[in-house]
Amino acid sequence: MLKKILFNAQNKSQLIIAMIGAFLGFTFLVTSIHYLIRVNEFGEGEEILGSNTMIIQKKVTNLNTLKLASLDFSAKDIDHLKKQEFTKSLDPIISNNFDVTLQTDSELVPYMRTDVFVQSIKGEFTKIDSDKWKWKPGDQFVPIILPREFLVMLNTFATAKGIPPVSDDLAKSVNFKFTLSAKGKKEKVDVRIVGFTNEVSAILVPSSFMEYGNTNYAKNKAAEITQLMITVKEGLFGEYENYIKRHSIESKANSMVVGKLKSVAGTLFSILIAISVITVFLAGLVLLQYAQLLISKNEYEIKTLLHLGYSPRRIIRSILFYFIKVFALISAASLLTFSLIKLLIDQMLMTGGIQIDSEYTLLSFLAVFIAFGVYTIVNYFNAKRGVLKTL
Amino acid sequence: MNIHFKNVIPNPLRNITHHEQSIWNNSFSLQKGQKVMLNATSGKGKTTFTHTLSGLRKDYSGKILFDEQDLQDFSAEDWAELRKNKLSFVFQDLQLFPNLTVQENLQIKNDLTKSFTEDELKQMLEKLEIEDKWSNQCGLLSMGQQQRVAIIRALSQPYEWLLMDEPFSHLDENNTQLALSLIHKRTAEQGAGFILTSLGDDHQFTFDKVLNL
Repeated sequence: MLKKILFNAQNKSQLIIAMIGAFLGFTFLVTSIHYLIRVNEFGEGEEILGSNTMIIQKKVTNLNTLKLASLDFSAKDIDHLKKQEFTKSLDPIISNNFDVTLQTDSELVPYMRTDVFVQSIKGEFTKIDSDKWKWKPGDQFVPIILPREFLVMLNTFATAKGIPPVSDDLAKSVNFKFTLSAKGKKEKVDVRIVGFTNEVSAILVPSSFMEYGNTNYAKNKAAEITQLMITVKEGLFGEYENYIKRHSIESKANSMVVGKLKSVAGTLFSILIAISVITVFLAGLVLLQYAQLLISKNEYEIKTLLHLGYSPRRIIRSILFYFIKVFALISAASLLTFSLIKLLIDQMLMTGGIQIDSEYTLLSFLAVFIAFGVYTIVNYFNAKRGVLKTL
Repeated sequence: MNIHFKNVIPNPLRNITHHEQSIWNNSFSLQKGQKVMLNATSGKGKTTFTHTLSGLRKDYSGKILFDEQDLQDFSAEDWAELRKNKLSFVFQDLQLFPNLTVQENLQIKNDLTKSFTEDELKQMLEKLEIEDKWSNQCGLLSMGQQQRVAIIRALSQPYEWLLMDEPFSHLDENNTQLALSLIHKRTAEQGAGFILTSLGDDHQFTFDKVLNL
């Protein structure tokens, strides 16, 4: 009966508009928080380089294309860099000077064979577990660290062929093969992925394997040093940045596709969160205004109920429950829509070869519950103020 | 519950001269169970009296006590409890919900204490000869019919005092007697009292006390 007295004769168009606004805000909020978390998690913990450590290389310019300038570092270049105040340690990255191909070797992953570029870096620059990171001739397999882009590419290829995408765990458990070749000889070696990296674009192998390949399958031409591993002293990054800019050198890590993708997606989702918060806030204001209007239009009814012996608490509770139902409807509709959007986005990412964790994130749900809680608390105080004002 | 007035004078009536027998600026008590008539012409403060006693206005000096408790000390929740179980009213402006039916108007009050069944409510309507209005919207009834609905609504709760502000102003003599009889019966059942304000009409009823303004 109370509901009939207080709410039945109301024009609900303002309420419906505010509900749609809040629904959109809630939906954007939960979706953007969820994907911000998932995007940030993507490839997390795959940093293999030590802190302040990065790979540097010379920038490609028109002069390189015209063969008027070289991309390799001379002994003089390296010596000059070593003498800089910001340099803590510096070492050339050893690249393969032999032909090597990588192929898949399991029915669980699509067949693929490609020439690859492998590198090894000194242990002092990395966080790789030294127990797993070793190889000697005759070992069952060569441990490798695969660039994340490589798996993304493999999954894009798999999806196009209608094959289920390869998860990180599956990729780590199946066999791959290296084929090392030189004039008149060829050798196949089993390979096992032990990790992924977003920082290095070549396949990383243990130094002992690199030495083995460069010794037994070397080309005639001498190996060139095109990349260096540098650790910069804490607090001297400004000088380092100026130096590499002056000498047309670039940090390799900055050009990594996944890192860039994460950065762009992270920024976009952060902007979306900000827009969502503003939308939720504005919709909340409209809902609040509607509640105030409702109380003000029902002043006679509220007064009469109080005169009949209805307690202010009961009337406040009745108004509060009405809006709690409204907020619950908005929240439920938002979470349901988010679930549908999530199915769609996860599917799109999978088609694009990017496998992210498909579990729901607690924080995104928590954000909706917090918004719901804030709406409820504000509405309670608004109803209390409105009802007590009629006394 | 006894009611005590101690030199009460409402602020709007402060500058008016009141005669010696007037309730304003005098002290008197109303004992539980008394039937009280408050007689006065228009503009003397009958509605101010009922509104003050029902907690709707607090702009007065002096003290009004329910037993030993000062009305000014009651909180909104205290008033709700009093209006639910100890004080009932028939307001001059009736304070019905015009968009609700007679049934709903009675039910909204009865729901608080479940004092009567639906049949008992219908019987009271029958006694006041408006039983056929059960499903009619209150706003569409005549003033006399609305007054009878407001009286039955006021009776649909337990009370120690029933305050009625010109409750029969739109009723003919016959309907006034029917209403007064119902009020007397219900009040007597509970050992309660009532205060009835009137413009000086003769209701052919013996009151325990007559107050003047």
